[in-house]
Amino acid sequence: MDQDPRRQAEGVSSVHQPHSRDEIGRSPAAPAPSRRQLFRAVGVLAAVGAGTGLVEAVESAPAEAAAGGGPLLAIDPDLHLLRRATYGPTPASLAELKRLGRQNWLDQQLNPGTIDDTACHQLVNKRFPRLLWSIDHARRHYAPDITYDMMRWLGGATVTRAVWSKRQLFEVMVEFWSNHLNITNFSGPTWNTRHDYDRVVIRQHALGRFEDMLWASANHPAMMAYLNNDESTKVEPNENYGRELLELHTVGVDGGYTEADMHQSALIMTGFGIDPATDGFQYTAGNHYVGPVSVMGFSDPNGNADGHAVGQAYLSYLANHRSTAVHIATKLCLRFVSDTPSVTLVNQLADVYQNNQTDVVPVLQALFDSAEFAGSVGKKVRRPYEDLVAATRILGYQPDKAGNEGLMDLYWVANAMGQLPLAWPQPNGYPDEAVAWQSASGTLQRWNTHRALASHWWPHKLRRPNPRTWLPKRLPRTHGAVIDALAKRMVFRTLTPAHRGAILEFLGHRAGDPVTRSSGIVNDRLPHVVALILDAPYHALR
Amino acid sequence: MTTPTDLRPGTKECGCPDDTGGMSRRAFLAGATATGALAGLTSVGLSTRLAFASAPYTGDVLVVLSLRGGMDGLNVVVPHGDNDYLTQRPTIGIPTNALLNLDGMFGLHPAMVKLMPWWNDGRLGFVHAVGQDSPSRSHFDAMAEMERAAPGSGLRTGWLDRTLGLRAPGTAFQGCQIGSGMPADMFTGPSPELAMWSVDDFQLSGADNSAERARWSAALSALHDGAPHSLTAPVTTTMDALATTDALKTAGYVPDITDPNLAYPDTDLGKALTDVARLIKAGPQVGLQVAAVDYGDWDMHADMGLGNQPDTGWLPDHLAEFSGALAAFATDLGSKLADVTVITLTEFGRRVEENGSNGVDHGHGQAVLLLGGGVHGGHVHGVWPTLAPGALDDGDLKATTDYRALLAEILEKRCGASGVSQVFPGLGTERLGVVAQRT
Repeated sequence: MDQDPRRQAEGVSSVHQPHSRDEIGRSPAAPAPSRRQLFRAVGVLAAVGAGTGLVEAVESAPAEAAAGGGPLLAIDPDLHLLRRATYGPTPASLAELKRLGRQNWLDQQLNPGTIDDTACHQLVNKRFPRLLWSIDHARRHYAPDITYDMMRWLGGATVTRAVWSKRQLFEVMVEFWSNHLNITNFSGPTWNTRHDYDRVVIRQHALGRFEDMLWASANHPAMMAYLNNDESTKVEPNENYGRELLELHTVGVDGGYTEADMHQSALIMTGFGIDPATDGFQYTAGNHYVGPVSVMGFSDPNGNADGHAVGQAYLSYLANHRSTAVHIATKLCLRFVSDTPSVTLVNQLADVYQNNQTDVVPVLQALFDSAEFAGSVGKKVRRPYEDLVAATRILGYQPDKAGNEGLMDLYWVANAMGQLPLAWPQPNGYPDEAVAWQSASGTLQRWNTHRALASHWWPHKLRRPNPRTWLPKRLPRTHGAVIDALAKRMVFRTLTPAHRGAILEFLGHRAGDPVTRSSGIVNDRLPHVVALILDAPYHALR
Repeated sequence: MTTPTDLRPGTKECGCPDDTGGMSRRAFLAGATATGALAGLTSVGLSTRLAFASAPYTGDVLVVLSLRGGMDGLNVVVPHGDNDYLTQRPTIGIPTNALLNLDGMFGLHPAMVKLMPWWNDGRLGFVHAVGQDSPSRSHFDAMAEMERAAPGSGLRTGWLDRTLGLRAPGTAFQGCQIGSGMPADMFTGPSPELAMWSVDDFQLSGADNSAERARWSAALSALHDGAPHSLTAPVTTTMDALATTDALKTAGYVPDITDPNLAYPDTDLGKALTDVARLIKAGPQVGLQVAAVDYGDWDMHADMGLGNQPDTGWLPDHLAEFSGALAAFATDLGSKLADVTVITLTEFGRRVEENGSNGVDHGHGQAVLLLGGGVHGGHVHGVWPTLAPGALDDGDLKATTDYRALLAEILEKRCGASGVSQVFPGLGTERLGVVAQRT
């Protein structure tokens, strides 16, 4: 079934997706209709946003905006920022942002060390203590066996942090980079290294310089094993890592390299591998190819048996390459702005990236400062995992009292929804465009998950607040008013009259019908109404 | 990716301390059952979608059975005419007189006796010494490569996704994974597929009667009025699919099987194949074109069963269930089998030489089963490379037929495909002649 809106809209018979994953490195030409939509959207806010960096707050009211869901999401820049820079707003996070102001809030999020996150930190360390183990410790503990336990716990800890960490933008960026430099979390040879990779490569550099992260990844046994560089020698080069380094990690598939470049890339990286005695990283000079090398304008006589330094110079060159800048800027736009970012914005962000020696923080600042970001309200569809985390947050769930059973169950719900975090089976990471996430099974699973969470069927070990706390202390007097109150609590606005009518119809009531303490809408039907609100576009879009 | 050690959840004897937890699927299944939750999302890796046909689909329903774990083709379609077979497998090798004779060279494992009627009437056939380019003996890598089916190319989609991408848009049931909440990697890519534990489970959880289901459906539809196309498109498909499964549930299903010996086994595989037959028989309104079903647990490193006791043990038990389910499926379909092609795939075959634990380790060349009205059955196809020590591929049965050539032939002759080069880039034009041209 064709569900590509662009294709249907344009009536073309050849389906070439303008932003398919395989093409992402190409200079991002947005298709004309989307550009028009975009400019229309920007027009709405341009006057407000012009010259002020982040746009000024406007009334939280439904307003006409871009095609792509605009009218259904309030054009409130505070909420917009929370929907994009976090795993979903909560009453508390909105209050925090309003207290600090957007710019201060963003500054804090971009300097996560300034945010006290002790509670979440302790939670993760307590519930997933073995994630603190070193690679060698894990190896020795399980020897002679190996296990997937470490990987499962890493997944559980990842979901836990996404829901409960206060360093929300940091967690969003951890997910971003984990997909960019993907190592499938359930791949055999990284069973005892993947959790360490998460810590010392991804988290260490998630809001730092990409050049440093890339270098750290090349010096980590998980990446070396995952892409077979540990088997690559001057005699028998394995080109897997050398290729993905160009195609996925840096310049992108259309970044301008040739097959010859790719072979040279693999030769430069020979020697980077693993110490079989400890499963840690090891550089083996004896494996390293010696002799002049050149890739995409990088060249080096490469005369020493120890080529570690040549590798570093090469990766530094790649990280700073214009094609890498465009590649990463495009992916950041897909994450934070829309599925059809403008060439102008991508190029602007690529400039910032290059002018700041691959530091991602100034890039994010410029992105969130852009008029295109401000005008992109509702233009992204939440992926299943984002939907799950946002729903868990907005419902006010708390972790299990002890242990990690509920936390792990939440992780497996993400699997049921089709997006187990860190688990994409290919080296390219989960796709980040709406068109990739349109199956009927996924949609049904999203709805069933909302029902399960709102009703506290599953994960039942997690603690759900009393549903009455989702309502004001003074109970609204009519069915219509209860729906309004629940909508404001869950999606920060009232529903359109038609949508409100749909829920009233579901309940078999009219808006003015009175509510008492025993009415269904504030008892058994309460979780149902909440689930329906989360099923609707107000929650599905961001 | 190559995984030097096998660690895929659900595979046994791989050095994992146990196979209980990984079980992402199992653990999750428990959860899913508790919530009534079920289907997974199309885990899609975007890639260039192919130019597609505009005519409605009229070819065979293709049923792909994934025998995960590495089925030992040498003890299933046994090359008893090859002298090296019993030499290499003195303990687990099945003697000729215990086999169901296929031809002078091959015999079928006796646990598969229920399938012999379809062999005898020419609708069941096998292909031996089939394999893939990837030399990997790792479950993870071999499965991933087999389902991507594009060696030497940068494609990141699955072959079934590319297959569906060539066709005109169909119903939500065009491509279905049955018996699992997550689609197999074969489906990875932009063409939507449906993954469901079962037809009866594909429903809004908690909506226990038809009035309640109608109430929820009406609300969900109305709540998407005015939503962007990226949301309304999947919602429409989902509503259609729910209406279809609701109608199927209301209609109920009784397999068309009179002989109790041929009833579906009461197992996951039996249930999944019941649903596949049910969807096939529901016809074009359901619109099933491709069904994928997993049947795992073939990773028989130890205690697979002794050759001189071929009716007991892990392999015989597994084959009996498998054959019973397939025989029930073929019986249930009756004349509809004319419009169905079933193919089995396993990520690799197993080592020729038995190990010290009455099992066999990971190997390469595999055996493929083909069942359907269009199959050139009653024949073991392929080129036998022999088991002579010098003819082996690193100790394993050599692959003389690329599995993609079999799939390509089925797609071309039974499923009306043109342009299989887009599904299997770089595949040559050589075909074995395993199926007849659909007329």
